[in-house]
Amino acid sequence: MSTRSEALLARPAAQLEVRQRITVLLTPPGLWLLLFFVIPLGVMALFSFRAASFGAQRQVFTLEHYQRFLADTSAQRLLWRSLLIALETSLICVVLAFPLAYFLSFRAGPSRLMLLTILVIPSWTSFLLRILAWKVLLGSSGIFNSLLLSLGWIEEAAPILLFSRGAVIITLVYIWVPFVALPIFAGLERINRHLLEAAEDLGSRPWQIFLEVILPLSLPGVLAGFLSVFIPTVGEYVTPLLVGGVDGIMYGNLVQDQFARALNWPLGSVMSLVMMLVVLVLTFGLGRGVKVTDLAGV
Amino acid sequence: MTNRLPALAASLLCGVFLLGCAQRVDQLVVLDWAGYELPEFWAPFADAHPDVTVDYSFFAEDAEAYAKLQTGFEADIVHPCSSWWGLYVENDLVQPIDTAKLSNWSGVHAELAQMGSFDGVQYFIPWDWAYESILVRTDKVAEVPDSWADLWNPQYAGHVALWDSGEANFAMTALSLGIDPWTATPEQSAQVQERLVEIKPNLLTYWVDYAEMAQMISSGDLWLASNAWPDAYGLLLDEGVPVEYIQPIEGRLGWVCGYGIAKGAKDVELAHEFLNALLAPESMAFLTNQYYYGAANADSIPLADPYVIELLSLDDPAILKQTIFYQTLTDAQRQFMTSMWDEVKAAP
Repeated sequence: MSTRSEALLARPAAQLEVRQRITVLLTPPGLWLLLFFVIPLGVMALFSFRAASFGAQRQVFTLEHYQRFLADTSAQRLLWRSLLIALETSLICVVLAFPLAYFLSFRAGPSRLMLLTILVIPSWTSFLLRILAWKVLLGSSGIFNSLLLSLGWIEEAAPILLFSRGAVIITLVYIWVPFVALPIFAGLERINRHLLEAAEDLGSRPWQIFLEVILPLSLPGVLAGFLSVFIPTVGEYVTPLLVGGVDGIMYGNLVQDQFARALNWPLGSVMSLVMMLVVLVLTFGLGRGVKVTDLAGV
Repeated sequence: MTNRLPALAASLLCGVFLLGCAQRVDQLVVLDWAGYELPEFWAPFADAHPDVTVDYSFFAEDAEAYAKLQTGFEADIVHPCSSWWGLYVENDLVQPIDTAKLSNWSGVHAELAQMGSFDGVQYFIPWDWAYESILVRTDKVAEVPDSWADLWNPQYAGHVALWDSGEANFAMTALSLGIDPWTATPEQSAQVQERLVEIKPNLLTYWVDYAEMAQMISSGDLWLASNAWPDAYGLLLDEGVPVEYIQPIEGRLGWVCGYGIAKGAKDVELAHEFLNALLAPESMAFLTNQYYYGAANADSIPLADPYVIELLSLDDPAILKQTIFYQTLTDAQRQFMTSMWDEVKAAP
């Protein structure tokens, strides 16, 4: 009896200790987020109401730039295009990454760690360098053109694949596939293998096990992978600038132009905030019912 | 006793901020484009003031330098291009330059000097200038174009690249339509915008960086590069690529950039000496040889590489009059050109 009551008494103290420990652990990242994310975001939100970037007009607050955005059909069109490009990229990534992750988790055996490392190694090279490499591959003297030429499918080399929306999607998919494979892999790893044995014992065929046990259980990982591509890709501007050509320009390019060239920071802020809002709404819509810990891939 | 107090306070303050005080005499901060920090550009200054360190802060776009100064960056000297000069003067970011203190001023082309003068006061000394024209891959085209309007010609479909700059495309398109880019009425501006949307089927891409553009010409994918500079032309000639840098019937465009003394310059005398060193014929000849750019100081021409001078007709006295230089823009014009270009790029 006495030990039990002692344990009961000790509990609040232990809880306090845990709480303290969490506070200590969360303070540095919390401060970091506050300084470099929350405050800048606040500054940007404030800027979206300013009449101008500098001078006396800076102290005037107005809704002018929100009105201008609402009337700006080209910005809206590009936002829509960016959402579509991001959606296509993330879907293709998931389709390509799933078999990869499945293989790593269920078939690769002891060499999985090495294979996983090999998968991630290309991301150690500079992002820019990998985009430029695609420029060479897709260009008129690149491997695709040479292949089509030697097969006699085309008569003259042309940068058919380069400078298009397709080029943007191909490049982005290449860059993001490993980052989608990782959370899916983590999700598959967490599936209790006894469940698969149980399903087998109960007479499930392999495809039934996959469709009814593995796939549903891996969905949180799939969604995490999907979102980890979708969210950053909507605001992408470097890839379209380098390989997008005329039809591949994205919303991020307009935002950059407003900040860096027009020096219209208020309008740029409005455009950024609108994009954040749209992505946030979509993410919450998709992410309902998914735990944060699943998204983190733990 | 009482009148010694301010001096005492000053020396105390100096004592406290010893580093700050020491820096004030020893350092010149230059806000400049990357690539302009070469010591050969201001050798006479280094000889005269070996104790002064010249620190560079770089920018990649004119807008960036302007925003930096507007938000309180402390520079002594700044190097914007002509379209921005009026904005610096209007917003009180630069101070008058006393050209009497510049012994190398006499050789500066009058046309260029005039552009840096506002209400009779010299605020910028012109320094580097260059053409903007169409760079053509001659072995790929059936006909070498002779007008800005030829960029729209369907025979070049899929092989034209425009520079990703609203101002440059506005100017170039206005010229092709016979409109003065700097006095265009709203109707004419709308006409320019419509015309620019029409060029999109002809485009391969927009070019951003001159080396990347030169590479696309070299690979044969790009035949016509609009608003190209002589540096890309020189680069391709050196590689042996068959290219021509045309003289459009409407005239070549030209940019000119120059140095101004920032409002908050710590030592205005020293800043003048630095500008004078930049204008020295040897400094400017080095610029022409290095980047294939024109020099504001005509006295540098005999010292520069004759090959470059001849290639770009830099010794032709009429050349500056034939070149259509970018004029200073108002804030409204500048914002319009960027937004117009964004609308063109976003057009379906």
